[in-house]
Amino acid sequence: MRILALNGSVRKYGNSEILLKQALMGAQAEGAEVEILNLTEYDIGPCKGCGLCLFKDNVCQVKDNTHQIFERIDACDGLILGAPCYFLELTAIVKQLIDRCWIRGHNQVGLKRKPASVIVPYATRGWIPYIFMQANILFNVLCLDKINQAAVCTQGISEVVLDQDALDLADRMGRELACAAKTEDHTYRGEKGVCPSCHDNLLRVLKDRETIECPTCGMRGKLNLTDGKIDVAFDDKAWEDFRFRLNVSYNHFAYHIAPSKDYFVRTREERKIKSQKYRDYLAK
Amino acid sequence: MTKILAKLRYFPGDALEEFKESDLQAIGDKFGTVVSYEKMERREMKNGLLMENTMHSKIEEITQEVITIEGDEENNVSNCIRALYKKYRCPRTSYSLMGSNEAGHKVAWRLMEESGVGGWE
Repeated sequence: MRILALNGSVRKYGNSEILLKQALMGAQAEGAEVEILNLTEYDIGPCKGCGLCLFKDNVCQVKDNTHQIFERIDACDGLILGAPCYFLELTAIVKQLIDRCWIRGHNQVGLKRKPASVIVPYATRGWIPYIFMQANILFNVLCLDKINQAAVCTQGISEVVLDQDALDLADRMGRELACAAKTEDHTYRGEKGVCPSCHDNLLRVLKDRETIECPTCGMRGKLNLTDGKIDVAFDDKAWEDFRFRLNVSYNHFAYHIAPSKDYFVRTREERKIKSQKYRDYLAK
Repeated sequence: MTKILAKLRYFPGDALEEFKESDLQAIGDKFGTVVSYEKMERREMKNGLLMENTMHSKIEEITQEVITIEGDEENNVSNCIRALYKKYRCPRTSYSLMGSNEAGHKVAWRLMEESGVGGWE
């Protein structure tokens, strides 16, 4: 059983790396083989939006070494992501990786699900509203079940070694990840959030001012106030809209993306004529 | 000849609730428009999932439910489409109004973009 850590920090021996390594030590104590990849040491180029992966070859055409990361992810039995929060969310390398997962996100039929956790060192309380959102997206498109999440307040380089509770937490997360991989029990063990799927506390208020939605999962519910407390209610139907559910994600590809090819071909001439002025404008 | 014709193409999972012809007719009657319904079904069960290869198909031929609204008065058509969006949400894709005439496309598209009407944002 192999546990993979993905490090989204540029800092060498920084807090993300330390927390991940502590988690891997925990996983190793449970019998796991372990591995760490520093994402920033890989050339992860931006998705070009060329659509060839979807419409032609089923393979990403960008020539860099992102595929090496995917190979490691495919070879592992459990994954832990660590990345710092510098500005309200995780570092850009994580988003870059998410964008490169496009075709993988639409090829999930028959894939085995694996457990995953995320740990995020950050500096200032109150400046971390979106830190779990990217991890939730990444895990869902990679067919990973999140079993835990944690944010650790720490700032200067390697400062987290002064926080034994944080190290213990990371160790525990590594152990439970290895156990989850072994037993295939992917039950979520972390602090529960309002969204019953991703356990984040983000909510989007729809413009009808009646409906709220988990922006990551697309699940919809209602807000109620009970004794001054906000109660967020998702009924069973909400799960039907869960955007990463296999049939929802499949429908998205089959009916919202693939048929756009026909539309694209049909509108070719009109687009060509109408877009000419934009090709000419400011052209060198 | 009808002045305004809008076609709303709903693909699997797009509509908030099941279309019933009686409901559609009632909405059409309420706003002095004609509302009709057509369903295409090409999916087959594979690996426990309803699947269909849509990559090389014409949009009009893939699995979908098409609601057609016809009327002569823009205000009536607009109110009818508004009621349909309220009940079912608006369709989602840039090609979901294919087959509409220019006037119908304009009304249906503008309502999708109107704050709080389309049901998605």
